[in-house]
Amino acid sequence: MSLDISFIGILIGSIMASSVPLILAASGELITERSGVLNLGVEGMMIIGAISGFALMVITDNLFIAIVGSMLSGVIISLIFGFLTQSLLTNHVATGLALTIFSIGLSAMLGKNFVGIPGKEFPILFSSLRESIPFFGPILFGHSIVLYFAFALPFLTNYFLKKTKLGLVVRAVGDSPVSASNQGINVILVRYCCILYGGAMCGLAGAYLSLIYTPQWIENMTAGRGWIALALVVFATWSPIKVLIGALIFGGITILQLHMQAIGFRIPVQFLSALPYLMTIIVLVVISRDSRKIKLNTPTSLGRIFYKEK
Amino acid sequence: MATDLRISNISKIYPGCIANDNVSLQFKSGKIYALLGENGAGKSTLVKILSGVISPDNGEVFLNEKNLKLSSPLDAKKNKIGMVFQHFNLFETLSVFENLSIDATEDNKSLRVRINEIFKKYNFSIDLDVPVLNLSAGQKQKVEIIRCLLRSPKVLIMDEPTSVLTEQETEELFISLKKFCDEGILIIYITHKLKEVLSLCDEVAVMRKGKVVSVSQTQNEKVETLANKMVGQKLAKIKKKINISKNKDEIFKVKHLNFYSDDPFETNLVNLNFSVKKGECLGIAGISGNGQNELFQILSGEIITPNTSIIFRNKEIAKLNPKQRREYLMAFSPEDRISQAAVPELKIYENVALNNFKASNFFEKGLVNERKIKDHSKKILSDFSVNTDNVELKSQFLSGGNLQKLILGRELITAPELLICYNPTWGLDVGAINYIHETLIKINDQEKSTILISTDTEELLKLSDRIAVIYKGKLSKIMSSEEVTPEKLGVLMGGGSID
Repeated sequence: MSLDISFIGILIGSIMASSVPLILAASGELITERSGVLNLGVEGMMIIGAISGFALMVITDNLFIAIVGSMLSGVIISLIFGFLTQSLLTNHVATGLALTIFSIGLSAMLGKNFVGIPGKEFPILFSSLRESIPFFGPILFGHSIVLYFAFALPFLTNYFLKKTKLGLVVRAVGDSPVSASNQGINVILVRYCCILYGGAMCGLAGAYLSLIYTPQWIENMTAGRGWIALALVVFATWSPIKVLIGALIFGGITILQLHMQAIGFRIPVQFLSALPYLMTIIVLVVISRDSRKIKLNTPTSLGRIFYKEK
Repeated sequence: MATDLRISNISKIYPGCIANDNVSLQFKSGKIYALLGENGAGKSTLVKILSGVISPDNGEVFLNEKNLKLSSPLDAKKNKIGMVFQHFNLFETLSVFENLSIDATEDNKSLRVRINEIFKKYNFSIDLDVPVLNLSAGQKQKVEIIRCLLRSPKVLIMDEPTSVLTEQETEELFISLKKFCDEGILIIYITHKLKEVLSLCDEVAVMRKGKVVSVSQTQNEKVETLANKMVGQKLAKIKKKINISKNKDEIFKVKHLNFYSDDPFETNLVNLNFSVKKGECLGIAGISGNGQNELFQILSGEIITPNTSIIFRNKEIAKLNPKQRREYLMAFSPEDRISQAAVPELKIYENVALNNFKASNFFEKGLVNERKIKDHSKKILSDFSVNTDNVELKSQFLSGGNLQKLILGRELITAPELLICYNPTWGLDVGAINYIHETLIKINDQEKSTILISTDTEELLKLSDRIAVIYKGKLSKIMSSEEVTPEKLGVLMGGGSID
């Protein structure tokens, strides 16, 4: 077993790559939830992003269009959710679940003709530096632009929520939509924007899977990552930085346990497969124990339907 | 510049209820105006229209003879109408400063400067960087007021501002309001508390069932005249005949009641001993937070304390839970109607069924006997003059007064031997208070006993035969209410001692 330093660098690099879709989807969902909307359609929006990104790549042979298109398709799916919950005042939970079920079916139908088509190589940045610097090279360099964006996103999200006026408005709407409305804030509009943003990020997360991580289309290829992203947001108590930590732990243990299985540790495979879920929850629960902080970060109106008095 | 606000022929109709019926009023700056009315008289609807939260079906609002179009809260803000709502419109998880900055147009630095100027001018002091949920009710209200002041309002509307304040905070508020008034802000003060109108306001408009029934100078009014206008009928004066006879049986006896809690928000109780006789009302006075909550919960069985002896009708009940105590014919009416006494989301008859007895047969073989419960509920609604006969109505749609009548009705229809109630008229209007008081006196006339824990001294003096004061978890000696005066109670409630 070669546990030399460069191997560890490569390992960390691959852990980072595997946590990208979780970071993207969870950061998007975090903004949506901070505005008081609980969208359980993350898995659905991701799978639609995955298929539309892959399909557009095959059709147009242009990765830029594929990426943008996947985000737009996430937006369209989330628009359905937004229209139902914000304009028709349907229940958030039921609508989100329905959206996921619908999207998984839709993606399988759309993707029928794309099964088995090989993907295209996605350009990676600084590939020469990756080889030339030991240990840090594979960690810092040679990734796609989406990965760099994903790792910047939790910090940008944190800055947006804490330091900007718009972030303040989003938090205010999530805290008390009635008060916000009485202050003259257009609650429905803010929530629509947050839902659509969440959709775009989930679409991008899906495209990362089908265009970059495993460049091909396989039915149901998100494989529950959307649900993990949802759980991350809650267990990270709506803090973007903790979402990043949680995603890395999940990605890390997923990769490590695969290696352990490959090496042939005498631990039941089922236990190893369950390990990422267990560890992520335990770590996030432990680092989020401060009940006062939880109270301050939790969007008080989460999942509640808001309508304006007339 | 003088401000002149005129409301002309405003009407607002909700399904099944005319909230505002052709309301016309005029206000001028330099005076404090009271808008007085019972719960449900249409005051809140009117101020919601003025602040743009809802739009009227008919009618117009003029500010300095300019016809205002108030179709959203933004319009009210633009026209310099500020509003402090009864239920605070703050963002609990955001800091004070974030709450204030959310609709500011200037940058944070100059906003802080302006806020500090307001602090200095009116003697306010609040930490700007703590989350609002850490503030007291009085501080939260100040944040709301500052938010209005930041927009240099011409009109400031206060909707029942003192319902959540302590007396100290109320005094501070009144001082500030008078200052604002001197500076030329037109103040409209909405309330159902008569004394506040008389001590604070210059002019008073009384509303009843959506209509303005009287406009007058407060100097020409008295508590009684205003109360009669508000209720629309002469209120009977209630005073109980005090009834202390030495030789009556003690029906309820508490010995060595001690309670110790680690929770800093709870009050420890130290060695309480008292008893209640048949047909007697024992009043327990005190400023809220001196152990009343804990005492009520121990008496009702929600908290079981060790080594305490509670004898009720010659049986030891100290270890019994509330349901078991009810079976022995005790009844309870907690302070918080919405979250402790009733479940607001449930229908009236379902709330009635919550208080079920073996004898009442509400449930048979695990199934709900809906018909029986509904009949029973209808009887409560009519016997206790609750203002509806629809047992399917969700309890949250009842006004405070009607809900309290329903709760008392539910407790009393089983003819309990002892009723323990805690602030039974809290937040109610005069009409409902009178009804509840009459009911409580009637219980004593029927030789049943009551324990009345209340923070309202007037109410205690009206209803109790004997009174004790609770202060920091300790009970004063029990006095006959003939020898008690409001002043004496005041001294004891503040921790002093008499004689």
